[in-house]
Amino acid sequence: MNAIRFDRKSIRNQLVTAFVFTSIIPILLVNIIYYYNTSKLVQQNVEGMTKANLEQTKVSLDVWLDSYEDIAILDSPGHASYMEMGIFEDLTGKFDVDNYYEGTVNSCTVDGKLYGVPFGVNCLALYYNEDMLKDAGCEVPTTWDELKTTAKALTTDSVTGLALCSVQNEEGTFNFVPWLWSTGATSYDINNENGIRALTFIQDLVNEGVMSKECINWTQGDVMNQFISGNVAMMENGPWQIPTMQSEAPDLNWKVTLIPKDSQYSSVLGGENYAVINGGNVEGALDFLTYATSEEKVKFLMDKFGYISADKTIAENQFEADSPYAPFVEELNYAMPRGPLAEWPSVSDAISLAFNQVITGTATPEDAAAEAQATIDGIVK
Amino acid sequence: MLFSVISVIILCVLLFPLYWAFITSLKTEQEIFHNPPTFYPHVLNSQSYAAQVETGDFNMFRSFANSFLISVGATVIAVLLAVPASYGIAKYRFKARKVMLLSFLVTQMLPVSVLLTPMFIMFKNMHVYNTWIAAVLADATIGIPFSVLILKNYFASIPKDLEEAAYLDGCNKFTAFIRILIPIAKPGVMVCAIFSFLYAWGDLAYGMTFILDQEKRPITAGIFNFMGQYGTKWSYLTAFAVVTIIPVALIFIFMQKYIVSGMTSGAVKG
Amino acid sequence: MNRIKKIFRYDNVGMLFVLPAFLYMLIFVGYPIVRNIILSFQDVDAGNLVRGTKNFIMFANYSELFKDGVFRTSLWNTLRYTVLCLVFQFIIGFILALFFNQRFTLAKPVRGILLVPWMIPVTVTALMFKLLFATDIGVINYILRSLHIISKNIEWLTTPGSAMFALICANVWIGIPFNMILISTGLTTIPKELYESASIDGANKVQTFFHITLPLLKPTIESVLILGFIYTFKVYDLVYVMTSGGPVNSTHMLSTYSYKLSFEMFKYSKGSAVANVLLVILLIVGIFYIKVTTDGEED
Repeated sequence: MNAIRFDRKSIRNQLVTAFVFTSIIPILLVNIIYYYNTSKLVQQNVEGMTKANLEQTKVSLDVWLDSYEDIAILDSPGHASYMEMGIFEDLTGKFDVDNYYEGTVNSCTVDGKLYGVPFGVNCLALYYNEDMLKDAGCEVPTTWDELKTTAKALTTDSVTGLALCSVQNEEGTFNFVPWLWSTGATSYDINNENGIRALTFIQDLVNEGVMSKECINWTQGDVMNQFISGNVAMMENGPWQIPTMQSEAPDLNWKVTLIPKDSQYSSVLGGENYAVINGGNVEGALDFLTYATSEEKVKFLMDKFGYISADKTIAENQFEADSPYAPFVEELNYAMPRGPLAEWPSVSDAISLAFNQVITGTATPEDAAAEAQATIDGIVK
Repeated sequence: MLFSVISVIILCVLLFPLYWAFITSLKTEQEIFHNPPTFYPHVLNSQSYAAQVETGDFNMFRSFANSFLISVGATVIAVLLAVPASYGIAKYRFKARKVMLLSFLVTQMLPVSVLLTPMFIMFKNMHVYNTWIAAVLADATIGIPFSVLILKNYFASIPKDLEEAAYLDGCNKFTAFIRILIPIAKPGVMVCAIFSFLYAWGDLAYGMTFILDQEKRPITAGIFNFMGQYGTKWSYLTAFAVVTIIPVALIFIFMQKYIVSGMTSGAVKG
Repeated sequence: MNRIKKIFRYDNVGMLFVLPAFLYMLIFVGYPIVRNIILSFQDVDAGNLVRGTKNFIMFANYSELFKDGVFRTSLWNTLRYTVLCLVFQFIIGFILALFFNQRFTLAKPVRGILLVPWMIPVTVTALMFKLLFATDIGVINYILRSLHIISKNIEWLTTPGSAMFALICANVWIGIPFNMILISTGLTTIPKELYESASIDGANKVQTFFHITLPLLKPTIESVLILGFIYTFKVYDLVYVMTSGGPVNSTHMLSTYSYKLSFEMFKYSKGSAVANVLLVILLIVGIFYIKVTTDGEED
């Protein structure tokens, strides 16, 4: 039984299908992605979740079934690319987003028109292993210098001080931009003192052995596994790891803090947006959105996912003060979205390539910055 | 005896990755990430195997039956079509022969990523999308060209006099093919059937793309229960691999005497 | 009457045997190939996909490709990867086939078990090798260190050269049983009498190998190599899972780069063009194969 199919990649599949029939066939060809994006497969969890959700409610089954080709959930930076294609319904005036975090609304807005509804947000912060810090006699780092010193102190034969997902794709870029932005550089302006400083900092961490080069093969999930196995003392990661960490390693003492800063605190806004496919059962989809964004449902969903509500009112009361999620709500104040830009995938590729080059030592920070800048300039005129 | 010892050594070296998969499945996640690695599980973790049976709507046994059905279906199509085709190519010199042979090669050449979308649309139009038939039809496209290329050598190596003797006995071309040539080529046919079966068994892309409902999907779909945005669950994943391999491996080991049995027992004598 | 007879002339009957399989492949695979070729001459990307403003830009995608450094790397990678994999898996497979062709008790069961790597979905194999080749927790480094072959862990998957080596190892591991079984089957088509008479004539093992086994095995070897070439050349999942083309694009293959362009960067037409370059190279190899195998056969 398939209810509304959510998948952040589903829309991509529709696109694949689209150029055969010149119109959009909203088929959720979720499966291609199963196969290829082996690192970020959320379908099973999502399916389980929607089902549980389904049982809880009295929403008629028909609405769900009819609209399952009408709604999509997608990663927020990709949203702009799809908006450009004109496959999403204009929701301006049809859905009230006044109460949502500004960055999240921006990620689904083009020319003042709303093409989506934020599903939930997250951002990255720094996790640290409390026991390891205590044993090494370190304070919680707040600046890059402190971070480097602490990481060095924490590094032993079997433990590396810091890990952050550095794979060469959007996931890696997601983890790199907080460092880039913290220097004052932007995603589109890298070849300057600031951009080079960020690249140099990461390269130094690797060269000094406090960050493993293997990070380039670790997804955020892999980084988390290394952290809970005690191979890594600190990691940059998101709140969605918390449920898993609590169940997999209940005895591990860890805490979350802001990502240490260079010139300013900085984090990256992540999360998913809902979008309504035009030409389908728009009414049903809107009805679903209203239902799914009610406080009770949002809380249920956010808990399942380890996300923070995009709705400010809900977010502020979502967690207790001592909850591990609380620092993420604070970090949200410094979090900026990627894009929105239709060509973001290409910009993102240039950024993650530059960081991968310095991590693997195949280019100097200066050369990497210059190369990335050349690519970006070719995209963003 | 010496040969047997050597063969066991070869076995150990080549199957080391499998051994590693097996012990990984019995370790806890913490131990898997332990540095240095451990060669046997210090803490036994059977959780990973229990999880195979009870992961949401993924039903191991049903998926196993699905996989079996799909693989057998694809094998039957591949063998039924490829055996005559390879015979035709091996024994007859018609004009389009080279073109047809080339086409069997060409159809193998596109990466799966390029094939999925158009095939998807085709199956949708044929109204077989989301049924096991779609997976069977798609999987057979891997087995056919492969079998043709392998079997044509087999048929070519069968001496002409055998066929001619059959004609003298009153066979026509078709009956000679079925009564005389196929039995002789049996080991080759078996190998092609086995590889077609294995291609279909290991297939992930087609099964996942053309079948949407979890309860109709092949067993390979189960992998995705253990890989996700929360990181790869190594113990579950490897346990899954072990569980799925064992039955197939047993089938093939028992079928050994039919595989590569050699033609000496057949009709060919010099 | 005569004309009908002519169609059913001896050799043309053969076509009837081939036709069903041919049509089957044409229906299911021919269409995707044509579609992909058309797409590669257009300018379809994320921007104009739905607006329907796609244009035919002829060879622009292709000429852009040859200026693209990553494309050139992936072309070169695909070639050397394929050749190296083929050489190793073929030689090892051949030796094992000869070995298990001997008569000894364990020959058949062991040969059967060696097929097991083939039963594992490639995705799982790739993940397994990723674990084996991990720098700190990987067992390969551990064994090499214990044997004092290396003193410091090798960063297998994070240095360009060794990442390629690890990919080749994984692929060879999958390819060995394939080569072994096919060559074993080929060996069974050689009549035993030939060996008997050779040994009566006083030929030694090496001589019989080069004068009987190799020549008679030629068609099998050709088929195994061409199939191996095609399967290795379009390798996708193994590379995607193990390295995703990294580090720093150094292990991209044509197929992974094609995927990246089409599905990660939404440059559909460019991605199709890469896939077609792959197709063209394989086509040339295929024509070469057919020329070699059908030349000189009796007509």
